[in-house]
Amino acid sequence: MPSINHESWSKRLSRELSAAWAIARKDMRIYYLKPNIIVSGILFPLFMFLAFAIGKNAPPGTLIPGLISITLLFSASSIEPVSIPIERRVKTFDRLLSAPISLYSLVSGESLSGFLYSLGIACLPLAIGIVVFSTPIVNAPVLVVAMILTAFCFATLGTLFAAYPTENVGEVMSMLNTVRLPLIFISGVFIPISTMPEIGQEIALISPLTYGNDMIEYAYTGRSLFSPLLDIVVQVVFILVFQITANYLYKKFNE
Amino acid sequence: MQAIEVSHLIKKFGSLTALNDINFSVDEGETFGFLGPNGAGKTTTIRILTGISRPTSGTATIFGHDIEHDTIAARQSMGIVSENSNVYDDLTAWQNMIFSAELYHVGRNEREKKTTELLKIFGLYERCNDKVHGFSKGMKRRLTLAMGLVNSPRLLFLDEPTSGLDVQSNLIIRDVVTDLVREGVTVFLTTHNIEEANIMCDRVAIINKGNIAAIDAPESLKKTIQSVQSIEVSFDRSSADQLDELRRLPMVNDAQKAGDKFKLYTEDPSEVIDAVMAYAHTHNLKVMSITTLGPSLEDVFIRLTGLQRKGGAVHAID
Ligand SMILES: Nc1ncnc2c1ncn2[C@@H]1O[C@H](COP(=O)(O)OP(=O)(O)OP(=O)(O)O)[C@@H](O)[C@H]1O
Ligand SMILES: [Mg+2]
Repeated sequence: MPSINHESWSKRLSRELSAAWAIARKDMRIYYLKPNIIVSGILFPLFMFLAFAIGKNAPPGTLIPGLISITLLFSASSIEPVSIPIERRVKTFDRLLSAPISLYSLVSGESLSGFLYSLGIACLPLAIGIVVFSTPIVNAPVLVVAMILTAFCFATLGTLFAAYPTENVGEVMSMLNTVRLPLIFISGVFIPISTMPEIGQEIALISPLTYGNDMIEYAYTGRSLFSPLLDIVVQVVFILVFQITANYLYKKFNE
Repeated sequence: MQAIEVSHLIKKFGSLTALNDINFSVDEGETFGFLGPNGAGKTTTIRILTGISRPTSGTATIFGHDIEHDTIAARQSMGIVSENSNVYDDLTAWQNMIFSAELYHVGRNEREKKTTELLKIFGLYERCNDKVHGFSKGMKRRLTLAMGLVNSPRLLFLDEPTSGLDVQSNLIIRDVVTDLVREGVTVFLTTHNIEEANIMCDRVAIINKGNIAAIDAPESLKKTIQSVQSIEVSFDRSSADQLDELRRLPMVNDAQKAGDKFKLYTEDPSEVIDAVMAYAHTHNLKVMSITTLGPSLEDVFIRLTGLQRKGGAVHAID
């Protein structure tokens, strides 16, 4: 029942969205060019990739889908694990925690900046594929959806790890790396899942990157393990689980 | 309606009890001070009242909205100035203000107008496009205050607004708060500066180790310990033993040296004046000035918190 005290849902939503957007823009202004974000979000995936690519005989153009996958993984999950511990240390995080917005908007606003950063960075390998190697794209719309979902999924994962109540960037980063480094090997980025031993194939199913990478493969080659629709559904589930868990943890750790 | 209503608030951090069943309420338009030493629980109280931290038990409402269950509504009417100047170093003063306004959903025209107005009031307008990185401590403090006011709050939380600032920054901040109070804004401030509490607050709560020892108007608090009065005296010469000798005079409960003056605490000022004059006579000293003083808020504070004066021969009660 509408009353003077209860604003309408649309008004509430617009207030929440604009606050989330403000938080994302603040992160973009402050953190996009921070050296440790550039290292862990851009240089790290690039060198990982080169290390693998050099050992392979495959034509470089065919490596583009994998490069896009790991770029999305690393860049999306690199902003919040840096920005949030720093903001805890300088106490600006209290501003966000005490603002008249829901925790969901705070968590999504934070994730949004990682998401946009990641999409921007992933355009680099995409462009290299098109311009340098003329790598054909079979299904562009699937590629776009895949990139969006993968970026959002790992941005949310970054925000989730940053919930750990520390003022030390290194602590969050090392926890995050124990999860995201193995993801490269079990998600079919360099080693196709079909060639992995059975146990490996089962483990691959629990990696969110498996589904994003599968969709990206599909977009480039038309071949994939799962249907793109299933990939989409699974990734949406991962995003929801990460978001809800992040929300829970921010609340819980907020003594 | 009460601006703040706090009932049986308890906050524990592990085995440490930071707030031990505190109760108080603040009327709309009132300036309410929390006065207490380091670690008393002042910041913990503000963090609970602003919904950053959750109480272990008890409730707090802001203009009738429960801070735990109706958090967003409770926060909409508040401005928060935290004890650290938590500004974004990598943003300009202008961007900091606009970001704050956006978090509180202040409309575009309004936020630019308000930002300009506040930056001018706080003497930061000329530097509005500079990154905060290079600002002095006082400038950052003023910017923090300006950011807390950008949503035109009805209730302002100030956690040690002036601590460690120079006179100029101090004066600007006090003037602004005075103007806000005149406009009807409710102010909740914490301080360990007794004089600040005395001048700025309608009522003061004295808090120590998580317990509120007293809540009253500064003058009423002073009246409660009318028995503690003092004599301030200065002589033409001073020597090392004077303080001890004065302390041993009859009816003197305690003596303190403050600059070139001695402050002697007593329940019977006239008796002590006589004793001081006699003391001056026997030691061949000339009394330069002598004054009787009522109890200061500091005296109340020391009495109620059980703190000791430095070198104090007399201990505050309990
Ligand atoms: N997050 C926390 N974890 C554990 N203990 C805490 C935490 N926050 C505060 N405390 C403890 O609670 C007590 C009250 O702290 P609080 O910060 O409220 O004091 P304060 O009155 O604001 O002091 P100051 O004048 O130094 O700012 C202190 O003993 C402090 O160590
Ligand atoms: Mg404090």
